[in-house]
Amino acid sequence: MNGYTNKILIINLSNNSIQTIPTQEYIEQFIGGRGIAVKLLYELTPKNVNALRPENALVFMTGPLTGTLAPSSGRIDVVSKSPETKLLGGANAGGFFGPELKYAGYDGIVVIGKAASLVYIDIFNDEVEIKEAQHLSGKGVFDTVKALRKDDKDTQIACIGPAGEKLVNLSGIAFSMRNYAARGGLGAVMGSKNLKAIAVRGTRGLSIAMPDQLKDIAEKMRERIKNMPSYQEYPEWHYKLFSILESDSKSFFGNYEDTAWKERFEAYENAERFVKRAEFRSETCFGCPLRCWAYINVKDIGGAGIAACQGTLTSLVNFTKAKDFDKIWKAYLLCQDLGLDISGTSAVIAYAMDLYSKGIITNSNADDVNLPYGNGDALISTIKKIARREGLGAVLADGVKKASEKMGKDAEKRAVYAKGGLELWLMEIRPFKAVALSCAVTDSGSHNRATYGLCEFYYKSMRKQAEAVAKNLVGTEKAAIPTKYEYKPKLVAIYENFHILADSLGVCSIPFMPVGLDLWTNAYTVCTGMEATPMNLTTAAERIRTLERLFNVREGLSRKDDMIAERLFNEPLKDGAWKGEVLDKEKFVEMIDAYYSLQGWDHEGKPTQETLKQLGLE
Amino acid sequence: MEKMVVVDYNKCIGCRTCETICSLTHEGRINPAEARINIVKYEEMGTNMPMLCQKCEEPACVAACPMKAITIDASLGAQIDYSRCIGCKMCIMACPIGGVSLHPTNKKIIMCDLCQGDPQCVKSCPQQALEYIDISKLSLKKRREGVKKLARFLEEVTI
Repeated sequence: MNGYTNKILIINLSNNSIQTIPTQEYIEQFIGGRGIAVKLLYELTPKNVNALRPENALVFMTGPLTGTLAPSSGRIDVVSKSPETKLLGGANAGGFFGPELKYAGYDGIVVIGKAASLVYIDIFNDEVEIKEAQHLSGKGVFDTVKALRKDDKDTQIACIGPAGEKLVNLSGIAFSMRNYAARGGLGAVMGSKNLKAIAVRGTRGLSIAMPDQLKDIAEKMRERIKNMPSYQEYPEWHYKLFSILESDSKSFFGNYEDTAWKERFEAYENAERFVKRAEFRSETCFGCPLRCWAYINVKDIGGAGIAACQGTLTSLVNFTKAKDFDKIWKAYLLCQDLGLDISGTSAVIAYAMDLYSKGIITNSNADDVNLPYGNGDALISTIKKIARREGLGAVLADGVKKASEKMGKDAEKRAVYAKGGLELWLMEIRPFKAVALSCAVTDSGSHNRATYGLCEFYYKSMRKQAEAVAKNLVGTEKAAIPTKYEYKPKLVAIYENFHILADSLGVCSIPFMPVGLDLWTNAYTVCTGMEATPMNLTTAAERIRTLERLFNVREGLSRKDDMIAERLFNEPLKDGAWKGEVLDKEKFVEMIDAYYSLQGWDHEGKPTQETLKQLGLE
Repeated sequence: MEKMVVVDYNKCIGCRTCETICSLTHEGRINPAEARINIVKYEEMGTNMPMLCQKCEEPACVAACPMKAITIDASLGAQIDYSRCIGCKMCIMACPIGGVSLHPTNKKIIMCDLCQGDPQCVKSCPQQALEYIDISKLSLKKRREGVKKLARFLEEVTI
């Protein structure tokens, strides 16, 4: 086969069985990546199973473009039932693991069962072995990667840190030392299977249907990426993302209580000074010109240098209001090494700091640590405690929602989260009605799996471009205005389809829109040799979206679960560009109705028989 | 030899586009293990170093080859003559920088052939970390870059 390897590994750790199934039968309906992953999850995970039981399937799936010459094609999608939300847990990661897996000859890996003791899966082309990993027990991500790369430095690793071993719901799966399938507690699922790591090395490569045409199309695609307005600035976003968020009026601080924290500029300056004095080199993911990553190393701070992500590094400052960037960098390294979802972890610590400032958490239940906003040392010690489930860390380890339920009514009122209890991601959402809607209706509660890069995002800084995109997608410039409720359900549905296609083809959602569906469709055809049109790929995206919904409905989701934290409806923003903005419950509910009907789901959010029939999902 | 692929590893972001386009061009498929260029990565040190045949003036591979299967083309440097190559791998052992490698499945010796004067890796590099330039101009170019660095330094000193 071309583009695909036509093999998916099915590994049952309970009985050490290793099998493969052909990818082919799933392709037409579900493309690859996220699409096939959710199909396999739906088939293999029994209804209503506890996410941390052996029966829950953990699916790693690449797409047909993963590892090809198509740009930004380093992606792998990971899905499982989430222990944090008890719904579909999905995360998509870049880096180099996905391509290596395909070069070894596999489109994906499904792990079921539970090993009797800690193991790792070692893959070199046809040789797939389950190996004992006791020597890696309790080890951080960095040491685990180094140990498994001892014999071959080109080996790519997916692994969990101590947090995943402790089944912390805020734990993710690390890909080498940098990228993460971070959200939803997938690290805990891996930990529950006693699976420390997957090491993969491949030298078999991929067949391509039309090599010369792929070269031409890939060149055009790279050009479109390099023409993105922000392209030149990308390497500076490790400290400039703060001002980008400011210029789009998306900044938030602490536990979402202000958007114009007075001392923020000092924090931004410290970040800039830190980055400029560091050993700093731009890095990127497989095949991508964008440079979202940079190797950062400052001697004597944190004991390691690694490639860091712009977004999560920034989020640590926004959430905790810590101005000492040395401490922020230490916190970043710790989360990466301990195997934590940085977004969720920073959110839950900000939540604890907020409760501390209100006297709901006191020194006596915070292990005698002073926990005010801005305390970098407390940030660091709390991260360690979360990863080990110690003291206050045990309360916070499973996320904001579960922590709030343990601490009484006053604490519950302060909690902010998306659907299912998943923490929000790096922006204030009250003024951004489409993003807010997506946080309630999307598969996993994660808006960066649904509406990342939505035209609302850059309305303040690039109004003309935002309006042009809105007009092109839903027929009116007005749809770009963040605070408007009209047109937003349609916008969300369209962006979700883009995300699903990016995640299913195995490419990054950031350049997906700028490159355009036309070229991605062409790239699909020249890689696989299969005819495709933007229209039939979009239909496949709708089918995948509906299957995700069917999974959640099967796990007991109903209309009332498509909701975000109450505080976002009753606490207007008290400062900043959007002063006074809050979500209107009535209009929000109307958006949900409209969204359901666009998706062909009934009033309860269940896909109708007619929709299932249309999409071939009966 | 007039022109060569010059690597500026400070510009390399490690995307590996050079590897994929190289194998696609030479093998019609994508496989870094079949590429004539590879980015050698040391993740914990943040280094990305594209490595390929340097087209030496006195190639160790040529000296080591018992079959005289590596010839020196006036403009493209060392090239493999597959009609003579017996796959003994002496060239791989002799090359001091790993510029020669073994195809993982057909076991042929592979090395950069500069795409017959139109190196695809250079064309596709999004960072211009690879350049195909006249060797005689290389040191002059480097000297100019050196002066720029010096100028920056002098500016800092005067301030």
